[in-house]
Amino acid sequence: MDLAVKVKNVVFSYKNEEGEVTPDKALKGISLDIKAGSYCAVLGPNGSGKSTLAKIIDVLEIPDEGDVVVLGVVPDNEDKCYEIRENCAYVFQNPDNQIVGTVVEEDVAFGPENLGVPLPVLRERVDAALKYTGLYELKDREAATLSGGQKQKLAIAGALAMDPKILILDESTAMLDPVSRDEFLSLVETLNREKGITVITITHDMNEAARCEKIFVIEDGQVTMEGTPAYIFSHPDAVKQAGLDLPQDIDLIYELAKLSDSSVDEEDLYDDTARIRTAVRLASKATDMPAERPYNKREHGDKLLQITDLSYSYDAGKHYALEHIDLEVYEGEILAIVGKSGCGKTTLISHFNGIVRPQSGDVTLFTRDGETLSTTRNKDVASIRHNVGLVFQYPEYQLFEETVAKDIAYGLVNMGAAEDNISIRVKEAAKIAGLSEDVLDKSPFELSGGQKRRAALAGVLVMKPQVLVLDEPAAGLDPRGRNDMFETIKALRDAGTTIIIVSHNMDEAARYADRIVCLKEGKKVAQGTASELFEDEKKARECGLSMPVLYDFSSKIRQELSKTHPGISLMPPLPFCEDEARSIVRSVLTC
Amino acid sequence: MLSDISLGRYVDTGSVLHRTDPRLKVILYMVYLISIFIVNSPPALLVLFILTIVQLIVAKIPLDITWSTLKPVLPLALFILVINIFTIKQGDVLWTWKFLTVTDVGTTRAILMALRLVFLILSTSVLLTLTTTPLKIADALESLMGPLKVFRVPVHEASMMMSIALRFIPTLIEETDKIMKAQESRGANYDTGSVFNRLKGYVTVLIPLFVSSFKRAEDLAVAMDARCYRGGKNRTKLNPLKIKKKDVVVFILFLLGAAALIGTEVYFKR
Repeated sequence: MDLAVKVKNVVFSYKNEEGEVTPDKALKGISLDIKAGSYCAVLGPNGSGKSTLAKIIDVLEIPDEGDVVVLGVVPDNEDKCYEIRENCAYVFQNPDNQIVGTVVEEDVAFGPENLGVPLPVLRERVDAALKYTGLYELKDREAATLSGGQKQKLAIAGALAMDPKILILDESTAMLDPVSRDEFLSLVETLNREKGITVITITHDMNEAARCEKIFVIEDGQVTMEGTPAYIFSHPDAVKQAGLDLPQDIDLIYELAKLSDSSVDEEDLYDDTARIRTAVRLASKATDMPAERPYNKREHGDKLLQITDLSYSYDAGKHYALEHIDLEVYEGEILAIVGKSGCGKTTLISHFNGIVRPQSGDVTLFTRDGETLSTTRNKDVASIRHNVGLVFQYPEYQLFEETVAKDIAYGLVNMGAAEDNISIRVKEAAKIAGLSEDVLDKSPFELSGGQKRRAALAGVLVMKPQVLVLDEPAAGLDPRGRNDMFETIKALRDAGTTIIIVSHNMDEAARYADRIVCLKEGKKVAQGTASELFEDEKKARECGLSMPVLYDFSSKIRQELSKTHPGISLMPPLPFCEDEARSIVRSVLTC
Repeated sequence: MLSDISLGRYVDTGSVLHRTDPRLKVILYMVYLISIFIVNSPPALLVLFILTIVQLIVAKIPLDITWSTLKPVLPLALFILVINIFTIKQGDVLWTWKFLTVTDVGTTRAILMALRLVFLILSTSVLLTLTTTPLKIADALESLMGPLKVFRVPVHEASMMMSIALRFIPTLIEETDKIMKAQESRGANYDTGSVFNRLKGYVTVLIPLFVSSFKRAEDLAVAMDARCYRGGKNRTKLNPLKIKKKDVVVFILFLLGAAALIGTEVYFKR
């Protein structure tokens, strides 16, 4: 067996600014072998040492103890390190922070230029990499003007131009919308298949991991599980123990197994066809009619926010970011706004609290006190900002105060709240956001990524807004962090706050939102409940939506079941695996 | 608001001047810079005026862009004009009122100074910023300063720093905009209130911007390491600068222009 990477008993600790070794080891005697030409995923919660491992493989960090051999090279001197880096390309999470060249083709050339590749060959390699990634038409564009998906493809092109044997993806898809993510992954899979490049992908997305050949689960600096996706996911308890999730399709299979008193083994989860076959078998095997879970469709309250004929253009009418948007938001609902990157979602939500004022049309807020406020009126804007809280994407980057408590209080102080009131409300907001009281006196820059995001959330909650608008609240969090974030959001809604979420994760939108509004190229193209929206797959795709994984899988199961059970209900699936499993079994038994 | 910043704006009209080797343009720019400061007589000024018009036509710069480059410096030009008119007291008196005196020499020189500034700005734009991408200017400087490497001046590193800084300008502008909006949502105010409050408003933007810039710098350094960056040694270039025949022709024609300018000046000074 040809090994691409061999890591043996590696121990590693980060050094702080004074050069002292930090007491917490990032890697604690980790060992793993990666076969040449394979496509594998590294999973694990935040802080488990995944990225550190990837950096060790690319010799961007040198292990304190243990051995690393990459493509047969032992990195024991500087030249060997560069030999490894030359053959081992690395794509990072944030597309903006890895582009060196101002112009697309110059960025692609950066790697081979460093290697000293002479001119005719250099030009050939750059052009070939651009063509392979589909960026050739854009080669003279300024890199900063590309979309997120294009920037990540540019990073791959830059890697390809170095002609690597190994490609490391460090949460490279975390910032991409589902359509760009699919494109990106198919490109990676093609590279793996056609060029035999070994791919190591670090991800929080379980559906992405299920596409790989092999999975390594890392917890606390060590490999705790390794095997094929079928093997890993046939141990659901261990997976959940590790702070991870099951892919939606496999989760549904387990729910079906519960209803039919059966067990699931590795074979059953082998690939897509095996999974459908297993699900169909389990669904037909059930004999007891499961009770329908009480699914209380919430009646919404009064109209709270009214958007009328809103249009907005950044370039004086040449191109509209928003075009004739009409939208109502009702008290006590969770509304999801979905759509591809660049469809106008962020521009739209910036209108909700008057950060961006309407160029034409109106945004009206009906407050608890019976006032009618409009962002077109200057005197109303301050009051609207207190009532509508806005949390932007990656809000952790807006913290600035000396202590977390002061940062949370910033909005209140600006509102002119009474001094003694402030500390009580700060504590309240921190609690709701899930921050413990002992971090309040720390500097916000000492907190972990997840805590920072919660501090930023508390800084908006402290103003007790009637409406809370969240732009991708769970972006970049691990599965456990995502679930916690949505639990917080649900608790806020139950306490009476109206929630608007911007998301490109369709499964989450379907699961948590009462209503979904879909934007495409600045226009509202669809709105309704999840089942209404995804009922007609063709229409949903025309709107630029990707199907939630569960919906996609469940429709296939129902199709398959209809062959043996003619007349089975093909009604649109439910967003939670447990409900959907019951619904499938019920329709099989009633038919 | 922030997107209006046009730092060394580049306007691609595809003219000959756009495609001319940036090193030659930098040299020409130096020549013109010196010439403009030598110009002192009205006939030479006329030649400079004609030369600038010709340059604008050769570079195919549209009128509205010429105007928008000039507009920000007009107040300064006006200021220079007024100050010089009233402070230079040589020559025949044309007009007096209380303590204000205007002389013929003063007027000529004031106009000369103001026009000099206008031409200076136009030349800078036409020869450099409007027709040359910032990256090419950085390349040109690296190549022209090349000999300094002998004295251990880190020419490559300086040029790399400059081009990375240019690359991150749009990214940072976008980020500033985002942070400003987030703080505004929490009631920050940049436009009204006391000076102190406004300054405080900007602090809430600058601190997060600095923190994230350091993070970006760190990330970028690791990314450059991963792509085998080892400084300027043994590096090749995708688009090396090459002087072609056409470049030489443009260079000589522009040099002749400068020579005509200095010639006129010298001739009329005698």
